[in-house]
Amino acid sequence: MITRSSTEITDTGDDASSDPPNHDSDHAESSFLGNGSGGRGNVKEVMQLDTIKNSMADSNIQAPMAELYPSLAQCAIVAAALKVLLFPAYKSTDFEVHRNWLAITNSLPVQEWYYEKTSEWTLDYPPFFAAFEWILSQAASYADPAMLVVKNIGYDSWQTIYFQRTTVILTELVLVYALSRFVRPVPLPNKQAAHVASLSILLSPGLFIIDHIHFQYNGAMYGILILSIVLARKQSTLLYSGILFAVLLCMKHIYLYLSLAYFVYLLRAYCLDPKSVLRPRFGNTIKLGVSVLSVFAIAFGPFAQWGQLLQLKDRLFPFSRGLCHAYWAPNVWAMYSFTDRVLIPFAPRLGLSVNQDALNSVTRGLVGDTSFAILPEVTKEQTFLLTFIFQLIPLVKLWFRPDWDTFVGAITLCGYASFLFGWHVHEKAVLLIIIPFSLIALKDRRFFSAFRPLAVAGHVSLFPLLFTAAEFPLKTVYTVLWLVLFLFVFDRVAPVPERPRIFVFDRFSLLYLTISIPLIVYCSLVHQVIFGFDRLQFLPLMFMSSYSALGVLGSWVGFMVVYFTA
Amino acid sequence: MAPPTPSHRPRKKGKFSTTPGSNNNLIVDTGDGKSSPAFPLVSFLWAARAGVSQWLILPLTLMAVGLFRWAVSLWGYSGFQVPPMHGDFEAQRHWMELTTHLPMFQWYLFDLQYWGLDYPPLTAYHSWLLGKIGSAVDPAWFALNDSRGFEDPHLKVYMRATVVVSEYLIYIPAIVNFLRRYTRMQGVHAWSSSIALVAVLMQPATILIDHGHFQYNTVMLGLVVASLDAILAGRMLWACIFFVGALGFKQMALYYAPVMFAYLLGVCVFPRIRVLRLINISLVTVAAFALLFAPLTIGATDAEARKALASAPQPPMLQALQISVEKNSVVYALLFQLAQTIHRVFPFARGLFEDKVANAWCAIHTFYKLTRFDTSLLQWASLGATLASITVPCGIIFRHPRASLLLPALSCVSWGFFLFSFQVHEKSVLLPLLPMTLLLAGDGGLSKENRAWVGWANVLGSWTMYPLLKREELRVPYFVMTLLWAYLLGLPPTSFETYRSRGTSEGSSPHFEPYLLTKIVHFGFYIAMIVWHILEAFVVPPASKPDLWFVLNALIGAGGFGIAYLWCMWKLVTQCRRIDRRAAEEDSRKKKQ
Repeated sequence: MITRSSTEITDTGDDASSDPPNHDSDHAESSFLGNGSGGRGNVKEVMQLDTIKNSMADSNIQAPMAELYPSLAQCAIVAAALKVLLFPAYKSTDFEVHRNWLAITNSLPVQEWYYEKTSEWTLDYPPFFAAFEWILSQAASYADPAMLVVKNIGYDSWQTIYFQRTTVILTELVLVYALSRFVRPVPLPNKQAAHVASLSILLSPGLFIIDHIHFQYNGAMYGILILSIVLARKQSTLLYSGILFAVLLCMKHIYLYLSLAYFVYLLRAYCLDPKSVLRPRFGNTIKLGVSVLSVFAIAFGPFAQWGQLLQLKDRLFPFSRGLCHAYWAPNVWAMYSFTDRVLIPFAPRLGLSVNQDALNSVTRGLVGDTSFAILPEVTKEQTFLLTFIFQLIPLVKLWFRPDWDTFVGAITLCGYASFLFGWHVHEKAVLLIIIPFSLIALKDRRFFSAFRPLAVAGHVSLFPLLFTAAEFPLKTVYTVLWLVLFLFVFDRVAPVPERPRIFVFDRFSLLYLTISIPLIVYCSLVHQVIFGFDRLQFLPLMFMSSYSALGVLGSWVGFMVVYFTA
Repeated sequence: MAPPTPSHRPRKKGKFSTTPGSNNNLIVDTGDGKSSPAFPLVSFLWAARAGVSQWLILPLTLMAVGLFRWAVSLWGYSGFQVPPMHGDFEAQRHWMELTTHLPMFQWYLFDLQYWGLDYPPLTAYHSWLLGKIGSAVDPAWFALNDSRGFEDPHLKVYMRATVVVSEYLIYIPAIVNFLRRYTRMQGVHAWSSSIALVAVLMQPATILIDHGHFQYNTVMLGLVVASLDAILAGRMLWACIFFVGALGFKQMALYYAPVMFAYLLGVCVFPRIRVLRLINISLVTVAAFALLFAPLTIGATDAEARKALASAPQPPMLQALQISVEKNSVVYALLFQLAQTIHRVFPFARGLFEDKVANAWCAIHTFYKLTRFDTSLLQWASLGATLASITVPCGIIFRHPRASLLLPALSCVSWGFFLFSFQVHEKSVLLPLLPMTLLLAGDGGLSKENRAWVGWANVLGSWTMYPLLKREELRVPYFVMTLLWAYLLGLPPTSFETYRSRGTSEGSSPHFEPYLLTKIVHFGFYIAMIVWHILEAFVVPPASKPDLWFVLNALIGAGGFGIAYLWCMWKLVTQCRRIDRRAAEEDSRKKKQ
């Protein structure tokens, strides 16, 4: 259905009592009211439109209800069927990593968890994830006790595979639950959009590729993140949102990238008075402080007691790695490296000095040594500074307008900043942007046009994760299916914005989408035909990551504009 | 043929309200003014009810079903790591090997003990093409004699891909075109047609056998469906060509041949005799067969081939014919090649049945050992029983050569063949299941009654293949695909909604609600299947009868297929009578006017 006018997905989403704190500025107040009344008008209009459409389609369906079919559960069931069929598919070393963690947590006392190094895949996730593995390991002993032996490096009996893959599918139920919580309170005119967004997350090719083929537990982790974001929608559950996010941080520290947005939002919306920044709410502050600190105390306290904190720090933050990951994640540094490579042949003509070490280096950027031949080296401090600056910019707005939509926007932009400018970023981290963004991508068409190139680039950039022939059809067909389906449905569902759209971005994203097709064909087929499998292997990868980087960067710029003008 | 003529369209509208997919009960009225989808598959296509282009729905559907096919193909295949003979995968690979490396006259002669070619020529040409392409990628896959039992993962991907590509080039276009034409003919809404398409393409048995076990059945089935499509379009000559193609790809298409023959003969005789059409049809058929065998026989006429064939042992058919031809002549080479091909394709020398098959003979054999009889007697008995079982449907289709009766007639006759004919494989159940599943696209095809029967037959069909699939480590795909099919169509064991009578928003007629007898029979079988699975998994059969569970499986399956045969027959008869009645009404109305 096409909703002609704009209503925001979420700001009318909660009953009045539970509005996110609506602060001092009368601008926001009035805009909210305006929206409210406008919203009601829209309901009628939408209903009329629907009725007309339906009566044209067939006389039998009178109810202009938001049609929430297929339901989340139905999609989860069919998706689970496909995922079970993927049991024998390719699995990366992450499978062995997690098996090893099952073995470590099951067979060793807690004191030794972060010291055990029989396998090269040592435990490098925070304690709660280790505890999660410990819980899984209790069940694992029924499936195949041999997988719980630390010395069984590379052990992958079919019971082990079935067990581990099943746990990924089952723990994803957290995500299903979180998404259903996300959709439930949304009122009718926007419910369909919320439902579509939640389906897009549930069926995300990112989770499909990373969790169910490559092997990780992102479904559960992002489920907790979404649950925490959903809880932040109501003032009454803000505290739980904070606690849940703290728990999440103690499971997987990659979410530290988003923590500034949480910090600002909770501080402004929960700890300070909505009317005035100068009046702190001491009760709330204490409640939040105590509970978050106790979460961290439970997680890290025992290790502090045993004096292992430094060891944990070394395990969790291994800074010996290089700027770019083996496959360049599509960020600014990928474009930087690309520029560097392109400049090499022109260097003599332009009178630039070429660093011979970098030219001959095989690892090129993989390990933290010389990686650029012409352009200046980038240091960790510089990347941190850039990340921090670009996270701060959206947070300023969040500080002055701490409502839920802005909050989710700020989370997304924090994800963007850390992905684009971070040190040793993994391509998998793109989910950090895509998943929070999906929650607000259907706010209106401007959000959607910023989302579109990200959806293409982010998912396409995951392709190099799976390089085996048998998985090629799976990753491409699934991703193309998702893109065609959801970009089409989003396009139908996204309401027209109140403000005019920026023409250039639309053209940009259309052009961008069109380029993707020949590029994928070249990188996956034509290149091998021309050069064979062995020669110039880096070329398709470089094209892909530079192309994807352009998309992510473009969508970031686009979303920044939308965020600040919304 | 009975395309709905404009004259009785309004009447139909009056009888069943104007709803998408007449008589299909796709939308259930929940009572509070809201409508909800009748079964999960409907809800997946809920958004496609109106205003969504087929250009979007069709690619999405094909991608989605393709994913399931490819995911099943990740699992084991027939004969994986089972030397020395391996299985069907190795057979197909071996044929690619021998067709690409040997001259044509040796194709049906080469080392017959090790998977000698025993499919008709089109399979041989298909193997040759795939072998050529595969050798271009990696010659080691099909190196002559050296590649036997080769199990490289890349080879597996290539072979799996050839099945998928063959299916997407032949089966799927045929099904899509057929359904489009058939639903239009039956006056079924496009939405309903999309749902039926997904259901047909998600048939568990076909996916499990082709993409799990490893075979190219869909090529043959696709050619049959293309032939049906040509019939619906009124292009009888193309129908002949496609059907000869199907026969030339896999002799199993013979299951359908009596109906096709009766139909094509029928359209030449009723309502008035059309000699020219008969001549055309026979000429085209003969020409198609000639074309099919042409490369093979021409390949046998050069001097070297003649010499080789002259010294080769004669195929039994040639011995029986006892024609005196100069052994070095072209005619002898031609005859030899033909006779040898036919000898290889029809293995009369094998027994009445292999393994445990859910057909009549195996069922009888359980209680009354048939091995005491002479093989030729059994062959005659089998021929007689088969003929008896197919006479009625063939007679009906001959007397009433209507395109809308083809599907029930085809399923009925192929059930007859499956139950009573000679040398039946458990995989042959795909043949009756295809036309039966295509019934979903018809008028009232997705109604509870029809869906219950078609769904049940498919579940039963893949259940009878469980012993085979279990041997090949395809248990997980079996359970996933079968339960997914049951889930999508809203059938037990996932849901009992189909068997519950309740008002629908479409004012459904009692005709499309499941009968009490249907419910009893189906529930009996579903319970039997579940109990059987539990027994098979947890109870060890007594030492004296190690095959007890498999025999039980075949017995229950045979009973169910017998019922399916009767249902198809009943469907055929009632549809035929309804069409007759309608035609009579038309006539009388015309007379009145």
